[in-house]
Amino acid sequence: MRTKKHGSIGDILMHLGMIFLSFICLYPFVLSFMVSISTEESIVRNGFKMMPEGFSLTAYRTVFADGSIYTGYMITILVTLIGTLLSLLLTAMAAYGMANEKVQYRNAFALYLYIPSVFSAGLVPWYLVCTQVLHLQNTLWAMILPSLVSPFNVFLMRNYFKTIPSSLLEAAEIDGCGVMKTAFVVVLPLSKPIIATISLFVGLGYWNNWANALYFIDERQLYPLQYMLYRIESLMRFIRENGAMANMEVPTQTFQMATLFVTIGPILLLYPFVQKYFVKGIMVGAVKG
Amino acid sequence: MFFIKIAKTFTVTERKRKGERQNMDRKQRPAAVSKKNKRTFFQEMRKNWAYYTMMLPAGLVVFLFAYLPMPGLIIAFQDFNFVDRFKSPFVGLNNFKFFFTSSYAVQTTVNTLVINFNYLIWTTFLAVAVAIILNEIKGRVSKKIYQNAIFIPYFISSVVVGRLVRTMLFADAQGGVINQLLGLFGAEPVKWSTVPVAWPFIIVGAHLWQLTGYTSIVYLASIAGFDREMYEAASLDGASRWQKIRYITVPLLMPSIIVMMLLSIGGMLRGDFANIYAIIEDNGMLFKYTDVIDTYVFRAIKGAAEFGTTTAIGLYQSVVGFILVMGSNWLAKKYDKDSGLF
Repeated sequence: MRTKKHGSIGDILMHLGMIFLSFICLYPFVLSFMVSISTEESIVRNGFKMMPEGFSLTAYRTVFADGSIYTGYMITILVTLIGTLLSLLLTAMAAYGMANEKVQYRNAFALYLYIPSVFSAGLVPWYLVCTQVLHLQNTLWAMILPSLVSPFNVFLMRNYFKTIPSSLLEAAEIDGCGVMKTAFVVVLPLSKPIIATISLFVGLGYWNNWANALYFIDERQLYPLQYMLYRIESLMRFIRENGAMANMEVPTQTFQMATLFVTIGPILLLYPFVQKYFVKGIMVGAVKG
Repeated sequence: MFFIKIAKTFTVTERKRKGERQNMDRKQRPAAVSKKNKRTFFQEMRKNWAYYTMMLPAGLVVFLFAYLPMPGLIIAFQDFNFVDRFKSPFVGLNNFKFFFTSSYAVQTTVNTLVINFNYLIWTTFLAVAVAIILNEIKGRVSKKIYQNAIFIPYFISSVVVGRLVRTMLFADAQGGVINQLLGLFGAEPVKWSTVPVAWPFIIVGAHLWQLTGYTSIVYLASIAGFDREMYEAASLDGASRWQKIRYITVPLLMPSIIVMMLLSIGGMLRGDFANIYAIIEDNGMLFKYTDVIDTYVFRAIKGAAEFGTTTAIGLYQSVVGFILVMGSNWLAKKYDKDSGLF
């Protein structure tokens, strides 16, 4: 019988493969950061280089000198906070009702939530309802409401609630707790792990969503960060195709990369602390795969 | 795709749990199962009103954003205008005729299918490979580092991905990263924005870059659940590492791989709008191979306000999607009884 020791060819190949993949995944981040702290001339002269020749923070100064980055941050933070809180509240309440065996129509409600995932009306009727019926255009709600309830999250949370022993709920009932009180005093504190997981996924979704802004927002002061980034690119293309107009400031490469880094900065800073919850969350949904 | 993948796995758990519960119920309170105890609608509402009140807000949101648009499908048969709105004149099947007789119908449908199919195949292949390798790597620290590194791209928005891909890697200028690489081999810089055939590869590559880490965690989770004894027994019999992967890990993963793939078929006609649009935007030169149904629809609304035709296209997507979901669900169930979505 042969046993393989550490350092066999297979091991080395696997490590090399993973190092290569990790490099590919990290490279664009490092490179764009390097570009953002370079001088514009060195980029124009040498192209994007890992080792910038001239160091300069001008791009960041330009980004922060323009007030719109602050409003962008404010809008994104507001949308993320309100959206995540509301989404959690609605998801948890619906899941709580559906988790209880005594509730007769819980499966009917589950079906009701599930049907749109199989058959949807499509973009246009949805858009018309949002703009013509609910009048969401150019409001914060346009970026919050449409993605408020994800049936997947509701089902995930319901499954978690079902693992809470019913004797606990009955005990609370005997002690005179009403339905709401049981939910908030007994069940909620027990559900911290699932709440943390779902709120991180929902929060990330809100932070990164820009499609709803693309559909519904025309007013500059309501642009979220990601959409601002998108607009800069459109502006660049317009200039490339039509030439710059008088008194129009052309965004530089370094400025673009600095903006990019400012929009993803908070996520990169939080990443080391939150990534394990995301991994756990994926596993909750996938253990039996 | 993400939704279906995970939805499937938890319905399986769900079903097992339900089974256990039903057994328990039968033992403990047989009366609850009998029909006599079934309450009428009003009795039920009076008794459990608090629960229904809690379900109401979520139900309302789903109603507003998912059910209320459904009657709007009538626009597919109308010549929509904003004065008459939903009472616009009917034009029969003209909207469908307009789309299906244009060259766009075939082009966008083929592009959608090709891109989605490549997403599915390559993400699965790479993610499974990465999961197996990560599982084999012994060093805890290096494993953590690799996993953290390949998971990062999942956290950034499609706009950022689009920017990294377009203005840095595949920039037209000589300074673009790929052009620099080509320069190392003495090749001329390529003006990427005029080479349509390159972009479907770039789109699929960006998707892989973003989701391989995420998907590999899904597979790593199921590998972690495999029976260790099987591997020990194989080691005792002198199986090499490769043999263990080939004859234990891969066959055990196969059911989940196949079922996940089958269930992804339901979304095949839905384009990956945000990601593709963030990379291609309105560069008409690249549409030939990259214009999917959803990007076409978006442009038709934005540019020409063609509500009738675009609703018709949406209906076409939904109907075909519905058939695909039902069909793949049936196939998945046939393959493995426990693994349908419903």
